[in-house]
Amino acid sequence: MELPESSLAEMQTRLRGAIEVLDEAGAVDLAREALASGLSPLEFFQGVIEPVLTAIGDAFSRLEVFLPDLMRAGVIVKAMQGQVLEPAIRQAGGSSTTEGAVVIGTAQGDIHDIGKNMVALMLQVNGFRVTDLGTNVATQAILDAARRENADIIALSSLLTTSLPFVKDVLARLDAAGERSRFMVVAGGAPVTVEWSVAAGLDGFAEDAVEAVAMCRGLMARRRGVAA
Amino acid sequence: MRNTTRLLDVLDRAETGPIVEELQWDMQLVPNAVMSLLAQHNIKMPAVGDAIVTTDDALADRLFDAGLALAEQLGAYCVSTSRRIQFTREEIRAALAVAPVEVTIGEGNDRATERKRCVEDCRPPFIKGGGVGTPLPEDLYLAVTQSYAQEPLVDAVINCTLSHVYGRELRSRTPWEVLAAWHEVEMSKAACQRAGRPGLALGCVENAVSEIGELSGTSHGGFSTQDWHHIAMISEFKTDYMALSKLAHLVRTGSVIHAFYNTIYGGSCGGRDGMALAIVSGCILLQMLYMTNTHSVSPAHPFYDNDTTPEILQAISLAQQSLARNSRLMTDVVITPVGGPGTKTLLYECAAMAITAAASGATGLIGPRSAAGVNVAHVSGLEARFTAEVARAASGISRADADGIVRRLVELYKPDLDKRPKGQPFGEVYDVVTVKPRPAWLETYEQVKGELRQMGLPLA
Repeated sequence: MELPESSLAEMQTRLRGAIEVLDEAGAVDLAREALASGLSPLEFFQGVIEPVLTAIGDAFSRLEVFLPDLMRAGVIVKAMQGQVLEPAIRQAGGSSTTEGAVVIGTAQGDIHDIGKNMVALMLQVNGFRVTDLGTNVATQAILDAARRENADIIALSSLLTTSLPFVKDVLARLDAAGERSRFMVVAGGAPVTVEWSVAAGLDGFAEDAVEAVAMCRGLMARRRGVAA
Repeated sequence: MRNTTRLLDVLDRAETGPIVEELQWDMQLVPNAVMSLLAQHNIKMPAVGDAIVTTDDALADRLFDAGLALAEQLGAYCVSTSRRIQFTREEIRAALAVAPVEVTIGEGNDRATERKRCVEDCRPPFIKGGGVGTPLPEDLYLAVTQSYAQEPLVDAVINCTLSHVYGRELRSRTPWEVLAAWHEVEMSKAACQRAGRPGLALGCVENAVSEIGELSGTSHGGFSTQDWHHIAMISEFKTDYMALSKLAHLVRTGSVIHAFYNTIYGGSCGGRDGMALAIVSGCILLQMLYMTNTHSVSPAHPFYDNDTTPEILQAISLAQQSLARNSRLMTDVVITPVGGPGTKTLLYECAAMAITAAASGATGLIGPRSAAGVNVAHVSGLEARFTAEVARAASGISRADADGIVRRLVELYKPDLDKRPKGQPFGEVYDVVTVKPRPAWLETYEQVKGELRQMGLPLA
């Protein structure tokens, strides 16, 4: 159903307001009202959520908004997706609004988490379903979570050269299990360079949270292309 | 004052404090407390275009009050136990009242004393030269470390890490970490001996990502209690049993403790104002948790990994003034530029931070961690010499004069920040046998010194 631009703009304004004050109930009401007015979940996602989140992501790339703003946006989007959009899609027998499923964590031996949190939130606000495993995550735990969540992408953060071998362990374990093509494995963090990621056999690498979103979108497009 | 009673208090509270989920700490408690205290204490920094080295004493004093309040309200978070380690205002005031205002590190003729400085202090900052954890191949470790140790203006060395050990990849918290710690002991001590400064204090154990590196490296025949030993507080305001195990070992061995906290610009504490508040509160909490001799900060830019953007320089300036005016804490600044050896960018960035820190009352300067510390062997002793010379020249100049020079420097390197010019590795800017800078690198160094003199910096 086509809604006038003014209605979409008004909904975007309400969503921005809900994010600003972390009004989960207000955001969930907004999503319900939108579907009741005839918008499909996908139309609501593309016409309301996506433009607002894109603007927040762009502002973060210019450091005009910060991690707490991303966190609030992430909470709000998760509430709307979990409580309204996903159930509506399931009821209609349709496919998900998510861009893809990502399991993310800081590699074993490393306890840094802010960079990883930024990437997780940027992916989340850009429509990915993200499972954050935290820091110093053992290789086995990463593999278990990826299988459990049926992840498309395993995203690993490493701020230390001494954690990089554990990133390679994930690839080796997937190879050994015959699952290398099931998951796309990407990494980021200060010592992760394009040269290192190519030599290690990663599917992608990003220098920061903004790049990470573009890279994951590209990988998902490639995967969908292959699947089609 | 450091003692077992305070250590046991910290360990007890890590096991008895209120339980909080880490997500709640990161997403609610920290950002909410920071935002609320910034508003309550009217912390609003000037536009970066107006001042990088700030001159508002009242703002600096309000920032300290807010920092005290944040340390009291939040405390620290122990990731290993999911509990908050909290301190009362009285406990914080009592600890700050007896915090050391000087520390002597190193041994024999090479002992050096770091002393607290005040804003616009004429005494130069203490210089801890080195690559601050930058990875080095084994065959270069000795020469690179010697390149810092042989610099007369370097008061102590801060070690690099190893990219490999016995030709093998290093892995955190494995036997390889133990072996790397011992390589660091052997090679950094040998480098100081080769430089003729065998008692120079070493910043260590840089290869100790976990507690096992520290416990093995600071044992019989290893690093001395008079070297300066590191413990980190994880961003934001977090610790864990790895750090607390290092603490227990260092307290019981009577070692000099240097703790650091690197808040993230744009992270849970927000922008410039929140970053300045986090620095002040973070240093207070480092003292409360770790009973430190010295503290350091190096806020990280989320996209460039450096701390020389004008916003971060400004937050460091205000926070250092706040701590210098209102506390006994000895607080160093780690220089983390994007530029690497051989580039003018590196020298402009080092100069901007050295001048900012010297005029703002920082106790010492650490580094530089050239090329953001992430490019193998992209460090050299010449940039530490340069930093020390600039810091000396800037000691005693007014904040207003410092601001004028810093802003001109920032204009010179700001366009290069997103290009991250990593420069050349050590072997291309130094002769690795004679351990002398090559002519091209020396010429660049002399050129930039000339430019600084033209800007009005009284460089010798």
